[in-house]
Amino acid sequence: MPDRKVCIIGGGMSKWGVREASIVDMTQEAAKDCFDDVPALKRADVDGLLFASSYCGRRSFQVNAAPVMAERIGLKPTSICTRVDTLCAGGSSGIILATGLIRSGMADIVMIAGGEKLYTPQRWETYYSELASIDHDWDGAQGIGLPPPFFSMTAQEHMKRYGTTKEQLSAVSVKNRRNGATNPKGHFQKAVTMEEVMAARPIAPPLGLFDCTPVTDGCAAVLLTHEDKAKELSDRPLVYIRGTAQATLHSMSMNWPGEHLADWLHLRTAAKKVYERARVGPGDIDVAQTHDCFTISEIIEMEDLGFCKKGEGGHFVESGQSDFGGEVPVNTDGGLLSCGHPFGATGIRQAREMLHQLQGRAIKQVEGAKIGLTHNLSGLNVEHTILIYGREP
Amino acid sequence: MSVLGVPILEGLYPSTMDLYPLEAKEFNRIHPFYENLRQKRFTTTKCKKCGSEPFPPRVVCPKCNSDDLEWVDLPTEGKVLRFTEEVAGVPLGFESPLIHALVDLGGGRKLISRVVNCKEGELKEGAAVKLAVFDIPPMIIEKKGVMAEAERVFFAFEPVKK
Repeated sequence: MPDRKVCIIGGGMSKWGVREASIVDMTQEAAKDCFDDVPALKRADVDGLLFASSYCGRRSFQVNAAPVMAERIGLKPTSICTRVDTLCAGGSSGIILATGLIRSGMADIVMIAGGEKLYTPQRWETYYSELASIDHDWDGAQGIGLPPPFFSMTAQEHMKRYGTTKEQLSAVSVKNRRNGATNPKGHFQKAVTMEEVMAARPIAPPLGLFDCTPVTDGCAAVLLTHEDKAKELSDRPLVYIRGTAQATLHSMSMNWPGEHLADWLHLRTAAKKVYERARVGPGDIDVAQTHDCFTISEIIEMEDLGFCKKGEGGHFVESGQSDFGGEVPVNTDGGLLSCGHPFGATGIRQAREMLHQLQGRAIKQVEGAKIGLTHNLSGLNVEHTILIYGREP
Repeated sequence: MSVLGVPILEGLYPSTMDLYPLEAKEFNRIHPFYENLRQKRFTTTKCKKCGSEPFPPRVVCPKCNSDDLEWVDLPTEGKVLRFTEEVAGVPLGFESPLIHALVDLGGGRKLISRVVNCKEGELKEGAAVKLAVFDIPPMIIEKKGVMAEAERVFFAFEPVKK
């Protein structure tokens, strides 16, 4: 069996936001943008489609969505055509699976597309459907499908244990909204000030409006292939998938794996594995896109990804270490807080931004970036997914 | 009862929109949990072979693969470690304030539960809470064309009144 090196060669996005469009429309927009990014590639050459969406079954009444999307996009896959559902990490799961298929020779050129139409004609259904996103019979029936209460308790834990402040939480939002202000594809193109974030309407204290990612419609798509084909299709620098990991240790709140809610053992487990596989350490990462579904999430991710010591995530962000010019710029395209979070599309959006960063063509470029990391937290913090990309295999 | 926009659903029970479990014995093999709950007992399954007591209850032991399990009682009192009060944006089916707590049941068991019979501002960290069992809407089961109601209960925790 071959052992091929796998590259990401192109990426695209629909416009994200509150869209007057269906998931089928937005998938076509994302795929068009992706094909525009790799003009030498013909649709007929794509032999695989992985479609990442969690809510197409519930909110668009469409299960088995992959053949529908393949037909609308104009693909006729012969190696793989299937849907992937890992909620917030679905896109990243698709990229991991495609990497394995291409590496082993079971597929040659795979599109990973995905996204969600989250806004329903009546708003109650948009929120009510969230009760399906966690362990339904146990945690869901307790009314914790909407995540702010869970992350409120996580933030309180971190604040009480490590002295993290509301200003430090807010600093995450200010940074990511500033990064996203120049990203035309994201949900928001508006920076926010520290004063605005601090004074915002409370959602689940200490979390306010700007501490939470919005509800967003949108789709994204990327293309993966093996090294030889990548060289043939584009003159741009090659960007390799160096390592991947996905760790889940529990599904229900009774079985939380860490010592306390701000101790994310499953993230550290995934991080250890991905660094080993990519043959790098946290100090080698030039740029990262981490899962800032809430401001507190990004702070804990800085710690458990190894960018700083446990308990120092608040200071790390506040002192600019996760901003341009710091240790490791994080969420350079605005992250979830500015782009929004149509679950299945988020990992794909991160991959697209990483492709741009490592090829030197990002809107907000980290100069000389060679190694990048993307991370997703999914469900009610039940799984962590990490990919490391590099200019070298 | 009519369903706006979908008149064909008039008088029908869309179980895929039901936020509570399909507790009736016709639809799951851990229905004794709910029957015990009705007796104010909070229970799970214990493996008779290896002794493990996972929660939620199972039909097969995830440790040793045995399917010889028995029902055992869990503590019905615990201590609030952290809590949160959601006032705005409470999802349909729940009332404001929607209070959740990370409850320590002892023996390394902690779970996130709704706290009921509690006013906003009343709960404190370290407070004692106990199991609260309440009726929820019955689920509907169709048998030979006849719709039958299956009674249901569910649980949360509530403050222990001094």
